Amino acid sequence: MGIRIALAGNPNCGKTTLFNALTGSNQFVGNWPGVTVEYKEGKYKSDKEVTIVDLPGIYSLSPYTLEEVVSRNYLIDERPDAIINVIDGTNIERNLYLTTQVVELGIPVVIAINMMDVVEKNGDKINTKKLAEEIGVPVVEISALKNRGLKEVVSAAVAAGKAALPQEPKHRFNGSVEHALAHIEELCLHNISDANIQRWYSIKLFERDEKIQEKLGLSKDVIDHIEQDITSCEKEMDDDAESIITGERYNYIGTIISGCVKKANRGMTISDKIDRIVTNRILALPIFAVVMFIVYYISVTTVGTYATDWANDGVFGDGWHLFAIGSKDYNDASEEFTGNQLIVDGYDLYVEENGTEPTGDFEYPVEDEETLKVDYETASLEDYAAAKAYLEKNEEPDPAEYGVWVPGVPVLVEKGLDALHCNDILKALILDGIVAGVGAVLGFVPQILVLFIFLAFLEACGYMARVAFIMDRIFRKFGLSGKSFIPMLIGSGCGIPGIMASRTIENDRDRKMTIMTTTFIPCGAKLPFIGMVAGAIFGGAPWVAPCAYFLGIFAIVVSGIMLKKTKLFAGDPAPFVMELPAYHWPTVSNVLRSMWERGWSFIKKAGTIILLSTIVIWFLTFFGFTSDGFRMLEEDEISSSILAKIGGAIAWIFAPLGFGNWEATVASFTGLVAKENIVGTLGIIYGASGDVYQTMANAFTSASGMAFLAFNLLCAPCFAAMGAIKREMNSAKWFWTAIGYQCIFAWVIGLICYQIGSLILAGSFGVGTVFGFLAIAVLIYGLFRRDKYKN
Amino acid sequence: MGSEIIGTLIVAGILVGIVGAIVASMIKSRKRGEHPACGGNCGNCHGGCSHSL
Repeated sequence: MGIRIALAGNPNCGKTTLFNALTGSNQFVGNWPGVTVEYKEGKYKSDKEVTIVDLPGIYSLSPYTLEEVVSRNYLIDERPDAIINVIDGTNIERNLYLTTQVVELGIPVVIAINMMDVVEKNGDKINTKKLAEEIGVPVVEISALKNRGLKEVVSAAVAAGKAALPQEPKHRFNGSVEHALAHIEELCLHNISDANIQRWYSIKLFERDEKIQEKLGLSKDVIDHIEQDITSCEKEMDDDAESIITGERYNYIGTIISGCVKKANRGMTISDKIDRIVTNRILALPIFAVVMFIVYYISVTTVGTYATDWANDGVFGDGWHLFAIGSKDYNDASEEFTGNQLIVDGYDLYVEENGTEPTGDFEYPVEDEETLKVDYETASLEDYAAAKAYLEKNEEPDPAEYGVWVPGVPVLVEKGLDALHCNDILKALILDGIVAGVGAVLGFVPQILVLFIFLAFLEACGYMARVAFIMDRIFRKFGLSGKSFIPMLIGSGCGIPGIMASRTIENDRDRKMTIMTTTFIPCGAKLPFIGMVAGAIFGGAPWVAPCAYFLGIFAIVVSGIMLKKTKLFAGDPAPFVMELPAYHWPTVSNVLRSMWERGWSFIKKAGTIILLSTIVIWFLTFFGFTSDGFRMLEEDEISSSILAKIGGAIAWIFAPLGFGNWEATVASFTGLVAKENIVGTLGIIYGASGDVYQTMANAFTSASGMAFLAFNLLCAPCFAAMGAIKREMNSAKWFWTAIGYQCIFAWVIGLICYQIGSLILAGSFGVGTVFGFLAIAVLIYGLFRRDKYKN
Repeated sequence: MGSEIIGTLIVAGILVGIVGAIVASMIKSRKRGEHPACGGNCGNCHGGCSHSL
């Protein structure tokens, strides 16, 4: 017979870490409340008969938050065989408040004091034997992170579950309260089949818990009778019922703590010292900005770029030298060859343009590979003679002569297709469609993995929890709750869990607003697009990627302020309670696992939905109606393609944003399938004209590139995330309001970027510029107008 | 000409097989309640795409 063990405890006490360690699962672990919003089940690794259930973190069994409702309903209705009450050993006093309630449920309980390694490191002492005697349940010391005491705690819970003999709670309330509880039990609870839970129900009825009154189906007469008992007790104790119970529980905990816990007398901890700087009123925001700038700078511009260049130019390009052996020599030789070639080409260009040979020094164009900027250099006739002699003597360097040359995927695929004498159309579909499209997306895997390592580290070490705290302070000034920032933190990996996390926000208006704005934060799928725009349009400028992140935060804050002043979202912010975990070094395995979980999701998408999309996009790009009828098009004819016709018909929407061409338009729309598709689509379309980055650079100015980036970052998310929005909104009206707002807001920001950017960078002024200023004026009005709904 | 037809058929067969496998896996995912555009990383998103755990 199977045993079901529920893990119950305060938020952030290590339940999910314990769950993962016991079941071998990879459930997401976060350093902030609300990470687990639904219960999860898994089989115990060492005994498949044992099912472990991870419940959302709760502070009490009162139904104030969604997590409390989910956990409480599970414990009351599902009645697990045993409960492991996970307690954060570093915060034992607060954690025991839940324990006093859990032991009243009439289910066998085992207390697991987690983070014992930290407790010992701090020099604190917990007398677990005495604690077990005081509370009347087994107590086991564990460290879920270090795999300590895990077998012991499960064995104790299994034994307790099999014995099915719940412990009698040792705690007794004041005589007056006990008298009232006994009356309540006698009045309406004696018929309950499970006698063990009668005491818990009576306490809840004493607290006037309406959900329990409803659940028990009590008549008005009974409720009135109970009310008399409660009122007389309240009069006697001169306090309200709920406060009486809470006070009594804390008094009881106080006596337990004084006898069982000895705290080391220490000054400020390292965490406290770090927090004095990191959460400082003035320094907190600049530090956050610097941290995120460094994260994106390293991920997208430095380390990530080296790896992505290798992936794009090597794995999905011509090829690469194994272990980079010979790479430098080849690059030197190649550079020398190209330098001479440029001089000779420049000489020929001079002759072509002037109809005569130069008589002295002449200028020749040199294009920077990164920035695509064309500069002119000067060569003498002697240089030309030397270059010509060099080219006559030397052939273009062959990379295979300098080391072990590994051909890229397109090269290998092409060779394979040639060897099979594959039809040209099929060959084009595979090379120009699938390999170009999927390769363009997969090429960004290194950047994404580097970003996910950083995010996993920041989350696991405790810094991101501080960010929620910092943002709460700022959000509150604008009538928002810091709780709204938690989904945004989670959404930096994927928007869907971010949207899901908004369930923990009790205030319905705040919750809806958070759902609407969460996807403004760039998720992992948008990173390839950011990297592509940064590399192609801005020559790999380091500020582009961090800018994308801060644009997301800007959009959230601006939207929050503006929406809060409307009737739909007016109201006071919900209270936000969270504890800041101590800073600690995360384990390498945890960080790598978190990175891989998120990265694998990206790779899997590239091999499924993106691959299918590239086939459709290739077909639509390379087939169309011409004067010869419907046929496959040459690369210079794709402006007649089906996709070009579709994109061209709707491109006017984006004309004021500076990218009213069919290529950018269809890329924006295919991004709705999955955001990586923008890169895949541009890889196919621009790849048809030669080098993707060069063609893209020619198609956009800096201003239109920024508008393209801003629009696609802020507009409606992918269909999967839209599905999550629809489900969480639970209303077609609200769903379309959210999607409509996101698209309109993205369009307005894109308009401002392009129109004002063009004015500043190119000095162009027109009707569009006026509308750009008008859009700014509207935003400023929305931000600073009087809030007539503010209390 | 004959080898071109055979080669094309082989490649087309492989491609159809891959596409078929992808579509089948996506239908399977859909039946499990996952969204086709989701990477299936339920551990990370708490099964947000399916809403059923």
